[in-house]
Amino acid sequence: MDHERSRPWRETMRRDMVAFVCMATVSLGVGLVVNQFRETPLPLLYQSKRVRFEQKVAHLLPPEMPGRSAAETPVCREIDLEEFRGFVEARRGIVLDARPEVFHRLGHVPGALSLPRDDFERAYARVRTRLEENREKAIAVYCSDAYCEDGQMVAEALLRLGFRHLLLFKAGWEMWTRTGLMEER
Amino acid sequence: MMRGGMIHSWGGRALGLILGAVFFWSGFLKVQAPLAFADSIASFQILPLPLINLLAMGLPPLEILLGILLMTGWKRREAAFGVLTLTAVFLLALGQARLRGLEVNCGCFGEGASSPWKIWTAIGRDLFLGGAAWVVFWGSPSVPPLLWKKK
Repeated sequence: MDHERSRPWRETMRRDMVAFVCMATVSLGVGLVVNQFRETPLPLLYQSKRVRFEQKVAHLLPPEMPGRSAAETPVCREIDLEEFRGFVEARRGIVLDARPEVFHRLGHVPGALSLPRDDFERAYARVRTRLEENREKAIAVYCSDAYCEDGQMVAEALLRLGFRHLLLFKAGWEMWTRTGLMEER
Repeated sequence: MMRGGMIHSWGGRALGLILGAVFFWSGFLKVQAPLAFADSIASFQILPLPLINLLAMGLPPLEILLGILLMTGWKRREAAFGVLTLTAVFLLALGQARLRGLEVNCGCFGEGASSPWKIWTAIGRDLFLGGAAWVVFWGSPSVPPLLWKKK
């Protein structure tokens, strides 16, 4: 121990840095190998959440109707709490919950259907008939709070899929519950 | 030799154990959701695209390895140095995100929604972990006196 203590500190730091670089290299190697055994391995080049989601949505478009590209898609209209509340209470259209399904099960806006961004394909297959039956009605989408971008992404996806009247309640579930409005489970 | 007594006998070991468990758990959560972790890294807007997924694959095993080393006590000083380095990098990343007003999801312990106050929580937690790593590093038997005592 005394011998170790008498070693110049720069030498100790250098050795620690080399050890750290070695550990990081080994970890990267392990991470790359583990990734190959995953059900869906990460690609080497990162694709943003939005790009991945748009690719998923593109698969849902019927081949004879390529749909609108993200650039030419009309923008959905943002609504505030009062308008959203009126929409829900008067049942003016369909309400969609873009949060992960587990949160939807814990509580949601009365009458809302679950259409989470992270499981869009499967959830869309479940609600598709209902949405198409009410194609002329408005659809209001909400997510967890104003920082959640999933609501916007789901609303834009529905516009690409041909639905026209999309509303986005950006303040989301957090605002709904904070004001003490009714929940459904 | 006050430092050598308490700190690296019991206090150092206990702190190493706690710090190791925290890092092990953090890495374990990230290994299970690499895509969510890659999204968290991307939200910081520091790294170029080709490095994001590499970091998402490499960092969780590194955290697990450092956690195991700290918990077992083998190469504790080197592991504490590693944790110190990582927390310094995390703090720089969080600090720049705060300064730029980015809505980041720290991704430190799995996925979660981003919000401004969560950055402060993450910064506070990293300061605590960095401090703990420094104590473990400082209390390791093989750190030379120059690092902890002025002549």
